[in-house]
Amino acid sequence: MFHVDLAPHATHEARALEWLSPEERVRSGRFLHAGSRRRFTLCRAALRAVLCHRLACNGQQLTFGTSSYGKPFAQVDEVPNPISFNVSHSGSHGLIAVAPHGRLGVDIEERISRDDLGHLSDAVLGPSEKREFALLRGNRRTHFFFRMWTLKEALIKALGVGFSQDPAKFEVPLAVRRGAKTGTLRFPSLPRTDWRVDDLGTKDFAAAVAIEASPRRSLMPSE
Amino acid sequence: MASTEERLRTLVAENLEVDGQPVNVPADLNVSLTDAGVPSMDFVAFAKVIVREFDVPLTPDECADFSTLKDLAAYIDSQAA
Repeated sequence: MFHVDLAPHATHEARALEWLSPEERVRSGRFLHAGSRRRFTLCRAALRAVLCHRLACNGQQLTFGTSSYGKPFAQVDEVPNPISFNVSHSGSHGLIAVAPHGRLGVDIEERISRDDLGHLSDAVLGPSEKREFALLRGNRRTHFFFRMWTLKEALIKALGVGFSQDPAKFEVPLAVRRGAKTGTLRFPSLPRTDWRVDDLGTKDFAAAVAIEASPRRSLMPSE
Repeated sequence: MASTEERLRTLVAENLEVDGQPVNVPADLNVSLTDAGVPSMDFVAFAKVIVREFDVPLTPDECADFSTLKDLAAYIDSQAA
């Protein structure tokens, strides 16, 4: 896991932009807001640095393809590589997760107060999680929601099918909901695959990473 | 009565923020919510707003997949037709 400092820093952002491919620079320029542009640019440059180091290649050799489910994968000299990675950012913080293989997802969220947590919880939490959420007030309510959100988002990103996996249709393991940092679960729709999920939250942000616990073989990312 | 595009622009302004600032989309709506910097949590919330306001089916993924807000407005109109 790599943490990326996304606080405003003109020099860092200008240098990071130089690391991006022409297509990534165009994408960076499309963002309407400076903060969104900065988060994308710094995280993509950091991802390039991490992957180039792991794959022993340079920035020109490294490109990204997209799987049939829309998930990016690394290519060195246009040859797909099985290395698994995922990126998330929120506010001033980015996280990059990398593993040799296996489906992987990460999520980070700065805990901001929002008045629609009740509505969001209806869309995201399972029945037991909703009952537990309803008992909480104030900061504990906010912390619980963001913790559940990041755990579920990391699992959904690892699964790689977006919100077609309804987050309300599976629940975070009870021990993790009660404070354990690590747990395993199976999606009802994929009953033979174990997923490990780790809570990475700090006082500054909620965060989680999820990975396929026992990938049967090293699938190429485009499969 | 306001057009779908006008209502959509108002809903974006009322419901979405990036870094605590309202999302100011261009008048022609030729921008995606992704390019506007909208995070995934807000896609879930905003998809629910669209479903409620326009009574059309829309998942968070579908909301994120529209290339532009103009395309989302066209989808809403097509569902109402």
